[in-house]
Amino acid sequence: MHMRYLLLFIVAFQSHAQISDFDHIDFSKADQAALSCKNEGLNNMPMLVYNLTSHLDTDAERFRAIYMWVCHNIANDYTLYLRNKRKRNKYQNDSIKLKTWNDRFKKEVFRKLLKQERTLCTGYAYIVQELSKLANLNCEIVHGYGRTSMTDIDELDPPNHSWNAVKLDKKWYLCDPTWASGIPDPKTNIFKFEYNDGYFLSNTNLFIINHFPQDEKWTLMENEAYLFNDFLAAPILYGKAYTNLTEHNTPKQMHQSLHKNEIVRFIYQLKKIIDIESVHFLIDDGFTNKKVKPNSITIDNQSLQLEYQFNSNGFYDVHLYISDDLISTYTFSVK
Amino acid sequence: MKALTIKNIAQALSFMTIAIFATLISNPVYAQSQNVATAINVDQQLTIKGKVSDDKGPLLGVNIVLKGSKIGVITDENGEFTFPKSLSSGDILVFSYLGFEKQNIIIDAKTTYINLLMSSDLVEMMGAPNADKPYKSKRSN
Repeated sequence: MHMRYLLLFIVAFQSHAQISDFDHIDFSKADQAALSCKNEGLNNMPMLVYNLTSHLDTDAERFRAIYMWVCHNIANDYTLYLRNKRKRNKYQNDSIKLKTWNDRFKKEVFRKLLKQERTLCTGYAYIVQELSKLANLNCEIVHGYGRTSMTDIDELDPPNHSWNAVKLDKKWYLCDPTWASGIPDPKTNIFKFEYNDGYFLSNTNLFIINHFPQDEKWTLMENEAYLFNDFLAAPILYGKAYTNLTEHNTPKQMHQSLHKNEIVRFIYQLKKIIDIESVHFLIDDGFTNKKVKPNSITIDNQSLQLEYQFNSNGFYDVHLYISDDLISTYTFSVK
Repeated sequence: MKALTIKNIAQALSFMTIAIFATLISNPVYAQSQNVATAINVDQQLTIKGKVSDDKGPLLGVNIVLKGSKIGVITDENGEFTFPKSLSSGDILVFSYLGFEKQNIIIDAKTTYINLLMSSDLVEMMGAPNADKPYKSKRSN
């Protein structure tokens, strides 16, 4: 009887799929495998997968080795992205032209992936899926909307991003190999490898804030409804949010209106121990950027809570930082 | 002479009947011995050749690997290959090529030549790179 209640408790409070489910696994052997295959190309995928995974014991490690190899060896091609975006927008309401474009573009993407190891999101997601399949792992491509500070967030563009879902120990997890691999400079179009571990088996609660799947089953939010409008209204998260946080709880919306001296509360769940003194806002009033301390900062267990009061009217872009890491952005209209 | 001929024909017919009957009876025996031959074949090593193409023609550079091993071969410019290791019935060859659907072919005792048509993966291409540039509101002032 007691056992049954205990089981019920465990099931009911099962946390969202995330990397901490694998705290008992040391990924260093998998990471080493990815590193030692650095000079292998994609022209022999079965061999690459064999070399990456054959000596690893768990599915989680095998997937890790594949994912790490992709993130460290495939470059993001910004020009591919721009060309594709232009055409997809142009043919948005002409499915025949869109298909013709996609068929042609797809061939070019695969050729580039094979010969130059350069691609765009779908190429990343595709190669992670293909290599995983060769290792008998259950991995899928998820198409949807990715939201960054540079996407036109007030417009309903067609889907613009792809990532992966992977089933490990009978549970689905999410990861984003494109965003994990690095950041292209929008001015120079030059891609820089800069691995971000936060996108590997990210907490689904955090992931949904800037990844909305076309097929809603891939939100992996079992009992909670998270709608497309919630996603469009959400704050902007940056890559470093994923290395510092497991969840972003409050404010749920990017644009906030409030009165002067009203208290705004921010709540986050931390992924690691941080220096409480390093938490600050950068507030842009349209003329100047000011580094500002929250009125109060508390860390209780893993939960970080901040309070802030605006004492003059205006319109503010508010960026949250933990030391030099840019976490998130909100706007406040204070009247 | 005539009667003799008829007798001869009758004799010949009955002989043929016996012969046909005998063949029919012995046939199952023959079939059995054939089964034994097949069973021997199962243990035999099979040299596998083949050709891989898509709807436009032969595919160069398709990877063919014996499942669970490092042993494999790549198709030549005619899409053709000869697998470097003799295979046994039940072995699985994995055919993969970037942009095409992966296929598993199970080898049976009769396999000697594999003629495989691969179809390209249906993938919608898209991609937004991430950005770490701070968001800036558009202001009218």
